[in-house]
Amino acid sequence: MSTTTTMTLQSKVGVFAGAALLRFILFAAFPSLPDLLTGRVEISTPVTSFKRLQEGLFLYNHNVWPYDGGVFHQAPLLLPLFSLLPDVKTWPIFTAVLYILVDLLSAYALLVIADSGEAGQSKLYTSPRRAKRSSGLLVAAAFLFNPYTLATCIGRSTSVFTNCAILFAIAKALSGSPFNAMVAISFASYLSMYPILLLPPLVLLAYDRQSEKRRIGSAIQFSIKTVLIASVCISLLLTMSFALTGNSWDFLARTYGIQLTLSDLTPNVGLWWYFFIEIFDSFRGFFLAVFWLHLVIYVGGLSIRLRAQPLAVLTILLGIFAVFKPYPSIADTSLFLAMLALYRHLYPIMRYTYVASATMLYATFLGPAFYHLWIYAGSGNANFFYAITLVWSLAQSLFVSDLTFAVLRDEWEVERPEMVGKEIRQI
Amino acid sequence: MRSLLSFLPLLIPSALVSATEYHEQLNLRPLPLSALLASFNFRANTSIADFDAQNFRLFPRSLGQILQYAGTRELHLRFTLGRWDAESWGTRPWDGTREGGTGVELWAWLDAETDEEADEKWLTLTNALSGLFCASLNFIDGTRTIRPVVSFQPEGDHPNTTLANTRLLHGVLPHEVVCTENLTPFLKMLPCKGKAGIASLLDGHKLFDASFQSMAIDVRPICPSEGECVLQLEQTVDMVLDVDRSKRPHDNPIPRPPPGHDLICDTTKPYHKPDDACYPIDHLRGQDWTLSQIFGRTMKGTCPLTDAEVPPVCVHLPSSRDLFASQGAHEIRYPNNDSLRCYHIEQGSEFTLVLTKSEFPIEGGEAVPLGIIKPETPVLYAERSFTGHGQEHGGVQAILTNPGDDSVEFVYMESLPWFMRVYLHTLSARISASSPNTNSSADLIKEIYYRPALDRARGTQLELLLRIPPRCTVFLTYDFERSILRYTEYPPDANRGFDVAAAVITTLEPKAMNIRTTSLLLYLPTPDFSMPYNVIIFTSTTVALAFGGIYNIIVRRMVGAHEVPRTAMKDKVLAFIERLKKKKSAVVATTAVGGKASIESVSGTSEAK
Repeated sequence: MSTTTTMTLQSKVGVFAGAALLRFILFAAFPSLPDLLTGRVEISTPVTSFKRLQEGLFLYNHNVWPYDGGVFHQAPLLLPLFSLLPDVKTWPIFTAVLYILVDLLSAYALLVIADSGEAGQSKLYTSPRRAKRSSGLLVAAAFLFNPYTLATCIGRSTSVFTNCAILFAIAKALSGSPFNAMVAISFASYLSMYPILLLPPLVLLAYDRQSEKRRIGSAIQFSIKTVLIASVCISLLLTMSFALTGNSWDFLARTYGIQLTLSDLTPNVGLWWYFFIEIFDSFRGFFLAVFWLHLVIYVGGLSIRLRAQPLAVLTILLGIFAVFKPYPSIADTSLFLAMLALYRHLYPIMRYTYVASATMLYATFLGPAFYHLWIYAGSGNANFFYAITLVWSLAQSLFVSDLTFAVLRDEWEVERPEMVGKEIRQI
Repeated sequence: MRSLLSFLPLLIPSALVSATEYHEQLNLRPLPLSALLASFNFRANTSIADFDAQNFRLFPRSLGQILQYAGTRELHLRFTLGRWDAESWGTRPWDGTREGGTGVELWAWLDAETDEEADEKWLTLTNALSGLFCASLNFIDGTRTIRPVVSFQPEGDHPNTTLANTRLLHGVLPHEVVCTENLTPFLKMLPCKGKAGIASLLDGHKLFDASFQSMAIDVRPICPSEGECVLQLEQTVDMVLDVDRSKRPHDNPIPRPPPGHDLICDTTKPYHKPDDACYPIDHLRGQDWTLSQIFGRTMKGTCPLTDAEVPPVCVHLPSSRDLFASQGAHEIRYPNNDSLRCYHIEQGSEFTLVLTKSEFPIEGGEAVPLGIIKPETPVLYAERSFTGHGQEHGGVQAILTNPGDDSVEFVYMESLPWFMRVYLHTLSARISASSPNTNSSADLIKEIYYRPALDRARGTQLELLLRIPPRCTVFLTYDFERSILRYTEYPPDANRGFDVAAAVITTLEPKAMNIRTTSLLLYLPTPDFSMPYNVIIFTSTTVALAFGGIYNIIVRRMVGAHEVPRTAMKDKVLAFIERLKKKKSAVVATTAVGGKASIESVSGTSEAK
């Protein structure tokens, strides 16, 4: 027994060290790679770009309010955090270490999530396939060595902080500390706004996994308490930002407002940018509302339908956000894929894994090529890149709906064990 | 010799500021090769009391009322085309202070307690001037307006109390094409309306054919040490004409080589053969022109309102060159400056000048240009260009060269459009490796004043205080990102690019002068303008597919494939096929009977549909 423990411990250390080493090598051996990846639209969006963060930092350090400009759209508290680091031009290694650490922390949180076994067995539901679920080590490795995660880390996109906070919120909720989970999700929401939509399933998850000692029986009481903690935490963060930016609420419009109104139309892998370039001015407000409503509408439906498996709801929501949020990047996809790895036991009942993954690969390779044709070669136009973002979004949404199907079929097969392996219909 | 161009404004004695007076002067100055600088200057004074009482005589009423209505203390308006070639033409006329960036440039000091009030008055001013000068000045909106901090200082004399309550606003329209419709209102503001005096030489065809031309209007209050304050309106036109092009006949403008027998050949060349091989040396004899050739018309006397003391036409030429004036003109030479000659002209008589070629080739070379006064080397050379490729990222590089022996201190100002997202942290100034002292790159930039752009609200304002050591070239670079706009925000010629206004350089040491770089053309990525509907449809379909897929999975009930009840739809389709079969047989049966049945069958099918 003790030998297996040391074995797993050794292999865990091996995976983490290997991932850290790989990132170190990439940072050190190719000094121009970070800047190259930072400039890629697939990795850096206006709200997560490291170059924009540097610009904000430069302005902040030179007594110009970064929120009085149109370049910096990230959360104010990132500014003092990065001011602590030595200048990235002269000492890039410190920034690299920070990003590597954040990635390792995210992987650790994933390890905790996977080892909790929630994916196969939650409080209200036990999957008949749980025996085959993936080990924590595998999930962490799949996240750490995923090329999308690597590119995000080397490209120093600030969405890694959001991803890390989301994963920690889930991990803390699973380990029975709702307070820490709420603090973590508040941080994630403060950094990127959209994680606030994860609150309902997260509260359900935390409710299901409360520790016996401090158990609150009433669901309503529990949710009021947790939501209160989250809102206090967010208001605290916002107040700190308010004080930090010279007692002004300008940063709200520049950080969250920009996501709500999409005034920066820089291309990305999502669906919004080209739509809102081409939309007629009189319908802009209407469609902004429709797109946001579309994003919000999944939360309630999925939380109710999949009440027994809140972690599955979180995974599906993360997949949906990676497709439909205003400024998505491959960092969001990497988070979804990491969560998807938790559901390895469901892969046999997913129907389109091959089609979806092949399409994603296709878009991954053709996306940069088409972008190059449009922006640099001039032999293509914007429709080339737009078409590939459509393909990318379709592939991801296929993954999401397939996972939803698999989760539901798994639930259904508990009632109908004789249907395992049989063809089914939905009516 | 060295300070000759700065001598230009001194000709008009500034000490003699009287309450109401008007004078005008044309300065001609041949430049290397076939270029000729013609500087027209018109200056009208009116006393502040007259101005406030709306008592206009020399000051144009149209402009005066606009200034009063918009609360303008001092106004500077520029219409510029072309590029001043400082490398061959030397220092700019008026030290660059009467020059604008390509297109239209406007800056003014407005009476305003608050910024909002200033914006309101600025809007009034730009719109009124837009109507007055037939220029698109009304397009100078918030995104093209900046508030310079150190670049511009008021030229007039303002009491400190007034200045504290004024706001300086600066707007620029680099895309504006300056043309005849701007010249006509310009001439109308003159007391003689271009009918007499030097203004009669200003012809749109020649002015806008020039290699460089700049029209300037300056209004400023002047308070002499004694006497009452006056409001001065100064109108300036500087143009660099290409003499060869001007001399081409209007109906036959294609340049052709002169016939062989007209060529003047260098007979000392070893390969010289009459009628066969010739080394032409015609250009070595300097320029030759007449006033009517270069301006397309003769000068119609003098304006009767002008101050008789000031000679209307002056030419800067070495005293060795022959210049003939028409009868009735009186030449004046100045003892302290033998390269300057001026002419007094009788009212009402036509005036022309004839510059002839020298008999013999003038000894020329690097040091001594041919038969002209050597242009003075400017204090600073400046050029600016874009770096990088593609339509995503880019950089701006300004190359600033100090050719002199004194270090130059100056303010470099840029007013950039909002869709050029500047990354100030990439700003760097470095001394070129070939310069003598390359180790002092770090402290080139003394001060930075930066106001970042806000999307769709205002542009970037960047002012840098720099100091360049003697005989050094400095590369000033920064990166920017091109943003992509909404499709309605692109102009109809979107793929031409967007004009970026000239950088304004104001030197502080060793002497105050202005330099403007050329404007730049910025290419932005463009969407496909032809398919808004397609994009809306495709994106909506993708959203609908994803939503529909998940919705169906969530809402529908799962059953085994064999348990699916026979759907009503299937029954309906089967029944429909049965009916069709029946109808067919019925039609076959009734065609023999008559036409009525066929009508029935038609209505039957349409029903089925």
